Amino acid sequence: MSVTIGGTMDRTDGVAKVTGKAQYGVDHVEAGMAHAAVVRSPVPAGRLVGVDVGAARRMPEVVGVVTAADQPDSYGGWVLQDQRILASDQVRYEGEPIAIVVAETRAAAIAAAAAVRVEIEEWEAVTMAKAVAGEGHVIHPDWQSYVPTFGVDHPRWGNCACEVRAEPDGVDEAFARAAHVVEDTFTANRQYQAYLEPKAATASYADGRYILHTATQYPFNVRERVAQLMGVRLSDVRVVGKTIGGGFGAKLDGWVEPLAALAARVTGRTVQVRLSRAEDILTCPMRENATMTIRTALDDEGRMIGRQFTCEMDNGAYSGEMPWLASLPLTVIGAVYKLHGPMRAVCRLWYTNTPPTGAFRGVNGVYLYMAQEQHMDHIADTLGVDRREYRLRHLFEDGDASRTGQVLEQAGILRQAFDRLEERAPWQEILDNLGPNQGVGIAAAVWMTNPLPGEVTIKMSEDGTASLVTAANDNGSGAVSMGLTQIVASTLGLSEGDVRASMPDTDISGYDGGSQGSRTTAIVGTAALEASTKVREQLLATAAGLLEAHVDDIELVDGQARVKGSPSATVPLGQVAAAATFTGGAVTATSSYATPPVPFDAGCATGALFTTMCTPTYHVHLAVVEVDDVTGNVDVVRYVVVQDAGKVISPVGARGQVQGGIAQGIGYSLYESQRIGDDARLVERSLESYRLPLAVDIPDVEVVFLENPDPQTGLGAKGIGEAPIVLSAAAISTAVRHATGRTFNAIPITPEDVMFALQEAEEVR
Amino acid sequence: MTSNSVTFSLNGVDRTVDVPGAETLLDTLRDRLNLRGSKEGCLEGECGACTVLVDDRPIDACIYPTAACGGRRVRTVEGLSDGGVPSLLQRAMVRSGSIQCGFCTPGFVVAVTALLERESNPSRADIADAVNGNICRCTGYAQIIEAVQAVVADSLAAGTGQEVEA
Repeated sequence: MSVTIGGTMDRTDGVAKVTGKAQYGVDHVEAGMAHAAVVRSPVPAGRLVGVDVGAARRMPEVVGVVTAADQPDSYGGWVLQDQRILASDQVRYEGEPIAIVVAETRAAAIAAAAAVRVEIEEWEAVTMAKAVAGEGHVIHPDWQSYVPTFGVDHPRWGNCACEVRAEPDGVDEAFARAAHVVEDTFTANRQYQAYLEPKAATASYADGRYILHTATQYPFNVRERVAQLMGVRLSDVRVVGKTIGGGFGAKLDGWVEPLAALAARVTGRTVQVRLSRAEDILTCPMRENATMTIRTALDDEGRMIGRQFTCEMDNGAYSGEMPWLASLPLTVIGAVYKLHGPMRAVCRLWYTNTPPTGAFRGVNGVYLYMAQEQHMDHIADTLGVDRREYRLRHLFEDGDASRTGQVLEQAGILRQAFDRLEERAPWQEILDNLGPNQGVGIAAAVWMTNPLPGEVTIKMSEDGTASLVTAANDNGSGAVSMGLTQIVASTLGLSEGDVRASMPDTDISGYDGGSQGSRTTAIVGTAALEASTKVREQLLATAAGLLEAHVDDIELVDGQARVKGSPSATVPLGQVAAAATFTGGAVTATSSYATPPVPFDAGCATGALFTTMCTPTYHVHLAVVEVDDVTGNVDVVRYVVVQDAGKVISPVGARGQVQGGIAQGIGYSLYESQRIGDDARLVERSLESYRLPLAVDIPDVEVVFLENPDPQTGLGAKGIGEAPIVLSAAAISTAVRHATGRTFNAIPITPEDVMFALQEAEEVR
Repeated sequence: MTSNSVTFSLNGVDRTVDVPGAETLLDTLRDRLNLRGSKEGCLEGECGACTVLVDDRPIDACIYPTAACGGRRVRTVEGLSDGGVPSLLQRAMVRSGSIQCGFCTPGFVVAVTALLERESNPSRADIADAVNGNICRCTGYAQIIEAVQAVVADSLAAGTGQEVEA
């Protein structure tokens, strides 16, 4: 039976994965492959005095040892080129690569790496608190010479890697005439992506180019990073994707791939770099820690008439994509509820002697919405208005604009979402039926779909099946193995198993923006629809000849071309494809798509690199929690998501994205905590100490999808995968606040935090 | 380093390996015997991606010495499908959306197989408990549990109670 849009189908990689046959980055093997172990800085900061590799070179089975002296004199970086592959004159975080030992076996490489002697004159490390206070050494003394990758530099100095400022007129006046002023300060810890497959990459160098096999979310970005850092042309690097054992943003940039490429170049061998879990945690570009202050002026009718917002974000030792994210507060804060006045915002990104931070599903949206929604509760309580009612009174409507001047044409979906939530989970009924120590939280958001380009080629085989060739990759979401496959199969009237997707290869496919920002099904799906429609037209034209019917009367169903209304007049698609191939050449078509730029107010701020939410989506979440007043544990007893999906292509996959995103959000809200010590070292260093959600912790999330088709994408689809996590800390923290009557200003809200707050309340009483 | 000759049943076939005393079962399976379905996620027995059955009990192969396997019956994910034809449980997991990135999946298949071999009608809580040593970072677990419930319902309806190993 033909696959349909909105129907169910088994993911195309499902059997390989469930039987243990799928080949991940860590499973890659090549003839003649050697193994690398990375010598890392044992301290967060210091001058690298010397690296003695003599003993290591003499160890058994060692192929070679690579140090900074062997690397090209080039810099790289996603936004700002502030990185090299190996530390040379100073070390900037604990775990920073200093040397690479290559040996015939992994065990031999690890043993020899332990024999490398590193001499470091240790310095006092710079944490974010110190950086914000202007204390400590300048981590990048050469910061002025760093080149912006996209040509446009942004305000930065010393340990400030990016500053974004919006300073409209009238803020002070708004606060001067305010009837009430409400202020809150929040902090958020780092969150580790904790994908199950530690990072790994295998590189070879031959014929003047690098070939990498790696489980990356963004092959073209890895290609660029390796090319920058090795000082070669983009086309001198080929990246071939492997099955990805999870990424959630941490496998978008090149972290292990440049190490493998350098080691392959120097030793002349194919080299695999595979991180242990301990190394993976120590060096992972986690969701950054941050502190925020949000202050709102209210008039005597309770309208918000002015706001001040500051946000300090930890960049870690190198920038990665973080300068992009420093301006996201401008698009988020003040974009769901009407702010009838100006907002002053200052967002800064600080270099610290900690591992570089980076993207994690929902990026800083998780803590920004946590801050905005707890603040909304605080405002409603101050005014003595029901929290839901206050939100509804001030909700955005169609055509309201974000603080960057982006007009949100469909913002009225927010009210639709509140209405659907009310049908599913009536607010007053929930309030009336809460048990002891229970509380309810409600939160709303606008989120986005990453606009970067993607390309799809559809090739018909002479047997009537189709190949889907694309560099878009399936990080597990099902966006390729279900979403794109489903779009192609339904367009061509094919059944499950008749469309096969390629693995990404930068030599074969056109540019793809990677599995990030929920883009694949919506954006690459648009290209897939176009390409398969072109192929369909070729097939219909040939079928019309074979069936002696008019092309408009032909339909493609169940692997056959047939004349509408006369089921006996059919010809198998294989015959059609073969006839078309041998008379006119291969039946194939390629299409690409990128979301057109969204208009915004260029004068809204200085330093803003990320100013619009493309293909915006609208969301309302509700959480009911129960607080254990003996242990401090918070149990999420009910969680409801109302999510604008545009058009649901794969219901099983879409639901899995919501359930999985909320699980990560529950972890973020309640126990996943990567603390950083005053010495700039990570506190949690293993999966034993970094607590992840287990099956017993996670409720069945209730999901309501709203289908308000996007006017631009092929099927009206909008991004789905990222948004669910964005509101989780907002909904859960407001629920805990309601249950305890205490405000929790730090995420996660750990059992210790809850016990401390409850004891404090007890003492006051 | 001293080596031990160890003989055990692996997916129904007797195998003998010479391994250093400290070698883990996971390294033996992946690197010596080329069975790469069991995954290394943490090397500390936390994540469960390396779960295999030793005498029908799920264990973390990343911290289990191969030397302790002598005379025992070891089953891995490769042994739970019939020549690559998925078992009822495996089919249900594909269908229900239990699989996203799939790196944890072999461990879940093994842990749930062990549960279903000893318990024909597990409750939702039994299922969640049975996979408490297995971390899935993608799915949020609900669709995994539903797959198990579907298999249980089907096998109870069929009146066999034991259809997991196809």
